[in-house]
Amino acid sequence: MTSSTDTLTDMLARAHAGDRRALARVISAIERGERLPGIPLGDAEDAAKLCVGITGAPGAGKSTLVSALTDELLKTSPSAAVLAVDPSSPISRGALLGDRVRMHRHATRPEVFIRSMATRSHHGGLAGATQASRRLLQYCAWPLVLIETVGVGQVELDIVNTADIAVVVLNPGWGDEIQANKAGLMEIADIFVINKADRPGLESTRRDIDAVIMTRPESQRPPVIETVATEGVGMESLAQAITEVHQSLTGTGELARRRYAQLGMELSQQMSRRFSQQLERYADCPAFAAAVAQLAAGSVSIEAAIDEMLPQVVNSVSPSQDESVPSGEQ
Amino acid sequence: MQQPPDDSRDWVSASGIPLKSYYMAEDVPAAHQKVLDAAPGEAPFHRGSYPTGYRTKPWRIFQLSGFGKPEDENERIQFLLEQGETGFIMEHDRNTADHLYNVDHPEVLARREDVGLTGAVMQSVRDIDICMKDLPIGTSYGHAGGAVVQHAPFALAGYWTVAKQRGFDLSRLPGTGQSDFFLTYLGCVTKQQIPTDAGLRFNADIMEFCDEHLPRWVPVSIAGYNGADSGLNAPQELGALFANAVEYLEEIKRRGTMPIARAARACGGVSFRMSMDIFEEASKLRAARLMWTQLLSERYDVHDPKVSNLRIHCVTAGSRMTYQQPINNIVRGTLMGLAAALGGVQSLGVSGYDEALSIPSEHAHQMSVRIQQVLQEETNIAAVTDPLGGSYYVETLTAQLIERAWAFFDEIQEQGGFLAALDSGWMHQKAAENQHKEFMAQSDGTQKIIGVTDHTDDISPFEVDGFMGVDDAFDVALARLEEVKRTRHEKAAGSAMRELETVLRSDRNIMPAMMTALESEVTLGEVGDIYREAFGDWATPIQT
Amino acid sequence: MADTGKRILMAKTGLDGHWRGPTIVATALRDAGFEVIMIGMARSDEVLQAAIDEDVDLVGLNIGGHIDVALRAVELVQTECEGMPIFCGGVVPPHAKRRLEALGVEVFPPGSQLPDIVDSARRLTGIA
Repeated sequence: MTSSTDTLTDMLARAHAGDRRALARVISAIERGERLPGIPLGDAEDAAKLCVGITGAPGAGKSTLVSALTDELLKTSPSAAVLAVDPSSPISRGALLGDRVRMHRHATRPEVFIRSMATRSHHGGLAGATQASRRLLQYCAWPLVLIETVGVGQVELDIVNTADIAVVVLNPGWGDEIQANKAGLMEIADIFVINKADRPGLESTRRDIDAVIMTRPESQRPPVIETVATEGVGMESLAQAITEVHQSLTGTGELARRRYAQLGMELSQQMSRRFSQQLERYADCPAFAAAVAQLAAGSVSIEAAIDEMLPQVVNSVSPSQDESVPSGEQ
Repeated sequence: MQQPPDDSRDWVSASGIPLKSYYMAEDVPAAHQKVLDAAPGEAPFHRGSYPTGYRTKPWRIFQLSGFGKPEDENERIQFLLEQGETGFIMEHDRNTADHLYNVDHPEVLARREDVGLTGAVMQSVRDIDICMKDLPIGTSYGHAGGAVVQHAPFALAGYWTVAKQRGFDLSRLPGTGQSDFFLTYLGCVTKQQIPTDAGLRFNADIMEFCDEHLPRWVPVSIAGYNGADSGLNAPQELGALFANAVEYLEEIKRRGTMPIARAARACGGVSFRMSMDIFEEASKLRAARLMWTQLLSERYDVHDPKVSNLRIHCVTAGSRMTYQQPINNIVRGTLMGLAAALGGVQSLGVSGYDEALSIPSEHAHQMSVRIQQVLQEETNIAAVTDPLGGSYYVETLTAQLIERAWAFFDEIQEQGGFLAALDSGWMHQKAAENQHKEFMAQSDGTQKIIGVTDHTDDISPFEVDGFMGVDDAFDVALARLEEVKRTRHEKAAGSAMRELETVLRSDRNIMPAMMTALESEVTLGEVGDIYREAFGDWATPIQT
Repeated sequence: MADTGKRILMAKTGLDGHWRGPTIVATALRDAGFEVIMIGMARSDEVLQAAIDEDVDLVGLNIGGHIDVALRAVELVQTECEGMPIFCGGVVPPHAKRRLEALGVEVFPPGSQLPDIVDSARRLTGIA
């Protein structure tokens, strides 16, 4: 297997040197929860790197928009990487990942890297591996990363914890959705896109968005861009808006603040993820089974059982891959 | 293995209608009792279009055919006509035609061996002319091709241009195209396609143009077949087909360019799939005629029997033709053809027994014609119109299908109409759900397919292999494309292309400009490039 | 059913747009715990690029039309991704089936049953 740290270190070095296959394999390793050595994270001030998150309800046209936007951004950026996230089935844990279909014209461009990701068991509109993959890509000389979130009914906040700039995609005729999500939208949108702007209901949707953003001081109002992604209409304006927002966030120091906050969030998430994995393994051990038996016999309380086992779970997290415990993927 | 008789099983029709072990007069729903007295040829027409039925007008034997170079397709069509086919269908190579690519397009170059496998390559009016050589277009009912919406204007204009060049008067020309939304946006989703609203405009433009210039032509033909073979069950096929018709009629009404009765006549030639549940399928055709009459009278106040008398073409279900033991498919084709005849079809195509392996070989094609001839000449079913009329079972089933079909029609309206239901992927979801159920039923043994799920021992005396057409279709097409571009009147072609683009970006009817484009030898791929520039791409709601 | 963690690429080699078969197969694989990356109609170079970038464990091709078109994709993937298993479905007449099988490709012609296809995916990705 390729799960040993040595191989991964080697593969990471190759990915860093521009080997695309190695890059793809390291992303898989991240998805499997393997420990990744040595990606420097101190990039809070590196404004040359940019990560744009695209979020919105299912059917809003996110994939098509990402595809058209990629074309536009490639006019100024030498390359672009796309992480397209789709939900895993909560029952089978399998997934259908279909975003590449709408990005077909980038299918073989060397300057575009597309990776489909299933959320696996992660909630919040992104996969557990999204943030680490984004950092990996940027480390491996893909400074521009676009993340397309799961199409969710409600606005998901995860994208704020992962991307530098959040683009919220809406469609004409979505007044109710805007009202229902007023607070969430205000919180996350750096840019609003009204996609499918050639459809009826554009004006009222625009008014609804205006009503939401009017509560902000003029300098902080997110731009509202109208697009018809299937025809490439509005992409220039959207790219322009991204550039301006990027500059503004950099200038005010907000970008650095966001990235700093994201690091804290990521640290906590990774710890939680690592702990969950460890707990899952522990739950397979005889000690855990014994505790359940004691619970059933009434000889111990749940609280007491946790108090006793918790240090064991934590302490069994060893710095190197513990090969004696079967990992999920083997 | 012989199973003991078991009446604990749930007997249902193919679409899931619960079935009793026999039917009595009181089972026929009250509302339907009222129409039992109508004779064939009388409204609401469920009993058939004409009182004399097949005595005076046998159904048209109408087979899809085509492959290779235009001359190969011409030869096959001539063969079928000699065999007794009574109309003909020109199939354009789907790799190029459906996408409006010339053979030098990178997507086609990457698959050059596929070119000509699903129809003849026709990139300019010259190719269409070769394909139509000596065909009896003035007297026989011709299908010009253009099944996919974005291809229809090109295929029709090509056929009409050749007819004009041969001195035919368009106002007397019979025939049809298809331009089917079910195929285009549900059954067979191409890599690139114009959006549905542009498709609706095309079809309305074709209807208007035929109304003015080709009154004997059936401008569009809604093909429920393509919905059904994608998974829609019988009532869904019916409901969706009429939801589609309503989109056309509403568009014409909005334009106000044609009387609604003439528009209804223009989309009153439709096609359905015939599958293996014989009585449900025959009842479906009876239900369809009644529903059309109902729709026109209640929604559009159209009562003219010439308009409300639906004309039906059927094709036997390609998806029911098996790869395993393919000779069995001759039996299936016969039974499905019988169901269509019992339902009162006007025109019929029987799928080749090698359908699951390839396009039809000459022998498979001949068998498709022979099956129909045996039905017409040897079984005496032509003697009596609507032989199932008055059967408690069939009348009940007809009424139940109508009820369920209107319910599905209403569901589509709730989705915002037929186009919206395609754009959102709702219709695809419905089709996929049924397909999934059917696959599950095959796996768990509730649905049996002989030779596939049961009785899989094959002792066929010979192997049926896929017919692979000819191997020079691509090379010849490429040479002819270069020849056209080299020898056509370039200035005229250029100006026709500019005019076409201008018209596409306006709200004028596209057909006059398309006629000029074909006359000026503008090629398929050039028209496609103009579309792609003007309309962009339909955002397919499904992951193909 | 347990998470397999295995990824399968599904592509159509031809320009024919019948989506029914591939979609049903993709759904069945999803329901068996696979992550199925669908790319629609794809040329052989597109199939290869997706197989690499998506780091898949198995390539599934829906084929139709001429066997040479499918063979081009099969051979490219086999050359560039050593040991990558491939399975095929679609309209595969007997002569085409034999040629694919000679290259080690598992073939599921029309009428194949979903459980058999899922079993093959498990076997080819090494989880059964």
